[in-house]
Amino acid sequence: MTAPPRGVPASEPPVITKEILQGKCAGFASRFAAFAVDVGVSLGVFMLALAAISFAARVLTGKDITWNRDDVWVILAYAVWAFIYFAHSWAASGRTVGMALLGVRVVRDDGTDASGRQAVVRTLALPLSFLLLGLGFLGILLGGQRRALHDVIAGTAVIYSWDARAARLRFLSRG
Amino acid sequence: MRRRSAEARLVTRREALAQAVSERAVELVVSALDVNALLDGVDLNAVLDQVDIERVLDRIDLDRLLERVDLNGIVERLDLDALVEQTDLGAIIARSSSGVASEALDVIRSQAVGLDEFIARWIGRLRRRPYTGPPGPRDRLQATAGS
Repeated sequence: MTAPPRGVPASEPPVITKEILQGKCAGFASRFAAFAVDVGVSLGVFMLALAAISFAARVLTGKDITWNRDDVWVILAYAVWAFIYFAHSWAASGRTVGMALLGVRVVRDDGTDASGRQAVVRTLALPLSFLLLGLGFLGILLGGQRRALHDVIAGTAVIYSWDARAARLRFLSRG
Repeated sequence: MRRRSAEARLVTRREALAQAVSERAVELVVSALDVNALLDGVDLNAVLDQVDIERVLDRIDLDRLLERVDLNGIVERLDLDALVEQTDLGAIIARSSSGVASEALDVIRSQAVGLDEFIARWIGRLRRRPYTGPPGPRDRLQATAGS
């Protein structure tokens, strides 16, 4: 995709690409945005679950349960939930909620569907990319195939799965 | 023996002469003909009425014909953007795929891709390597060759 030349009228689609991006490796912004959405979704669902448990406990026992976010059990429960959320999503369809929203997908490094084992390894290796002061993500910016450390460990890659050209045609047809 | 070879040479010369005469005759006839006047005299409609198109089509091997046509090349040469903007095709696409949700998705995704490309171009500049677009994942052949 090339930058629009100067003097392009405002009606010109600003960033919708003319290229067919499907199957190409996704960039940092798309992946980061997808991950941010996933963190929000997984946290939201987890908090809703805690609230539901508190409500049920109050109804059934009459006692209030308060959740402390520094509690080891709460952190552990969230870690287990996050593992299930990511591993199951990647194993089932190659995409989480955030990835579906941003139109990206996890695949094997040769472009075929990722296996369940790869999904589990990728989920377990994901914290490593954070623990190395974020250096694990540098591969997305500098690597030839935009793979983070957890991608390299799991033998996966993240690709665009949405049809940018069709989106451009839809945009033009609306105008 | 000599007589036979002399006869053979004579036959060859005669054939060459006959060929030259016939070519010249055809040239003279063609130059004398007024092709336009001839075509004016032809009732093309009457000719076409006599042509059985169905029979002609039956004799055409469409599969073979299509094999020789580079459809991808034709599609590449089409300006789809102009086509969508200038024809009712745009309205058809809009009707078939419109919706606030899909529009919002398109915008979110395209903005993210724009940002991806912006970052990648800047990284390319800093590394003094021209950015040539998003890479594809390793294909299966490369993967097996590399292992």
